[in-house]
Amino acid sequence: MSLARALTFVELELRRLRHDPTEVFTRAVQPILWIGVFGTVMARVRAIPTGGVDYLTFITPGVLMQSSSFIAMAYGIMLVWERESGILKKVLTLPLSRLTVVLGRSLAGAARALTQLLVILLVAVPLGAKLDLSPIALALAVLALLAGAAGLTALSILLATFMKTRERFMGILQAITMPLFFASNAIYPIEVMPAPLQAFSRVNPLTYVIQALREALVYSNPLACLQSIVDISLFSLAMIALATLLLGKIVE
Amino acid sequence: MPGSFAVRAENLVKVYEGTVRALDGVTLSVEEGELRAIVGPNGAGKTTLMRILTTQIKPTSGDAWVLGRHVVREAGKVRSAIGYVPQEFSVWNDLTGYENLLVYAKLYGIPRDRRKRVIEEMLEFMELKEAANRLVRTYSGGMIRRLELAIALMVKPRVLFLDEPTIGLDPRARALVWSRVLEYRKEYGATVVFNTHYMDEAERYSEVVTMMNRGRIVAEGEPGDLAKAVGEGDLVSLSLEGDTAKALDALSRVPELVVVSAKNPVLVRVENAQRQLPYLMEALMGNGVRVKEVGIRRPTLEDVFVKLTGMTVEEAEALGFRGAAAMRRAIRRGG
Ligand SMILES: Nc1ncnc2c1ncn2[C@@H]1O[C@H](COP(=O)(O)OP(=O)(O)OP(=O)(O)O)[C@@H](O)[C@H]1O
Ligand SMILES: [Mg+2]
Repeated sequence: MSLARALTFVELELRRLRHDPTEVFTRAVQPILWIGVFGTVMARVRAIPTGGVDYLTFITPGVLMQSSSFIAMAYGIMLVWERESGILKKVLTLPLSRLTVVLGRSLAGAARALTQLLVILLVAVPLGAKLDLSPIALALAVLALLAGAAGLTALSILLATFMKTRERFMGILQAITMPLFFASNAIYPIEVMPAPLQAFSRVNPLTYVIQALREALVYSNPLACLQSIVDISLFSLAMIALATLLLGKIVE
Repeated sequence: MPGSFAVRAENLVKVYEGTVRALDGVTLSVEEGELRAIVGPNGAGKTTLMRILTTQIKPTSGDAWVLGRHVVREAGKVRSAIGYVPQEFSVWNDLTGYENLLVYAKLYGIPRDRRKRVIEEMLEFMELKEAANRLVRTYSGGMIRRLELAIALMVKPRVLFLDEPTIGLDPRARALVWSRVLEYRKEYGATVVFNTHYMDEAERYSEVVTMMNRGRIVAEGEPGDLAKAVGEGDLVSLSLEGDTAKALDALSRVPELVVVSAKNPVLVRVENAQRQLPYLMEALMGNGVRVKEVGIRRPTLEDVFVKLTGMTVEEAEALGFRGAAAMRRAIRRGG
């Protein structure tokens, strides 16, 4: 495994984004609505107990993760496309381990997802979200987001190895992403959910990433945040390991 | 002795999804430095064979070695020694040609101090210097193929695998691709194995041809020798008006003539067409057969294929699952 070569996949992604940055903006529309409309309205209603934090501030990390997770989870579509073209065939004949390929592509998906941090901050802060923007808080947020998005990208790669057409992949994607979002602590605390949903949200990786983002940006609690990042990393490493084992299947 | 060959395969079998028998016992040896064509209609198993040899997929059974390294057990070592251009396009079309070379150079692990020089050298060699900073999306099919070759040759591979390197290209683009491949081979003494379903290309550019049909090798040899398997002499094709029965009856009385194909246009083999054609025409006209067109040619690999399989290449392709149309679609997707 070579980290330098894995990071080349990140460079690839950044170069593609530079040539065509539309995704950054189209993906920003939904979160702007969530924060700008849903957030500001619900903040007035004061229907959701958020433990002393104003609602807009509360949902900003949740919406950030929603937007990032969509990008990460959609990454597999690229692999479905690369499988139909010759790119994946070519990549698998390069002197690279399968782990390098999966790790590199997971980080590449995470890099794409990370663009949302900037977008969301630019939207939420002017609207009145009270966030800790100290270097430590921001660094922790980046770390949490990267770790979480890399794991979700690996999960997406895993899905792509089984869903071999774009249509099937898009279908499964839609079936997964929204439930993951609603069954998380993104827009309301877990405590207000019915018990079965609470149980699910406790195994939902989004919950942990959002938790970490709140600990960094809202509660200014670096130690708790680091603990959450460790939990997230375990999930992500497991996903990367699994995707590595099954990568061979995608080209069969 | 797998060690002394550039490529060696023994009894390769590949069954996809438990049902499609894409390879049905393929045994093959390619000498170092050889230029080998693998020909056959759509669905013959050419790509499957190449994908096993390039370590992408594992055979269901059987073994294969590249430069003496086992393609499953020593896949890493095989990968460091080979260059490969897949049938479908393998470059990112939302990057420039230069960026594609750069990204692949890094993935190959070419050290930083050599990267730039290697890329410049390859752009020059493939005549892509002017287009280097344009998005690949704007490239022609021929330019994309040359870019892919540039990528494959950056590491100076000892064995180069090309899957349908000229498919869908016009004659000029085909010729340019071939001139680059042959020049690389001359300079580095590399082994080149290429798949094609253009029989003329195999005949023209290869030293040895392996002919496949439905997962098996049906013939192997130097193109000239293979053509001789159809028989020495010339082929005469006769495009007839109406029924072929009367014509076949007339032809059966011409000495030293073999009917190769009885369907219209009727194909016959004679020892010397120049000498025998007048008698042949006399016999046909004497029997009241009207001939619309006469063609004389040397036997080609297509004729070998017809003789060995009893099918034309088109008929064999119609039997395959994926038609030419599906392949064209696959290629367009990549571009
Ligand atoms: N990934 C796959 N899954 C299932 N079947 C496959 C797969 N790839 C190829 N096949 C089938 O295996 C057979 C051989 O295909 P292959 O692509 O090796 O042939 P080919 O000689 O390269 O043909 P072409 O000229 O169309 O490229 C075909 O029947 C094809 O449909
Ligand atoms: Mg093929």
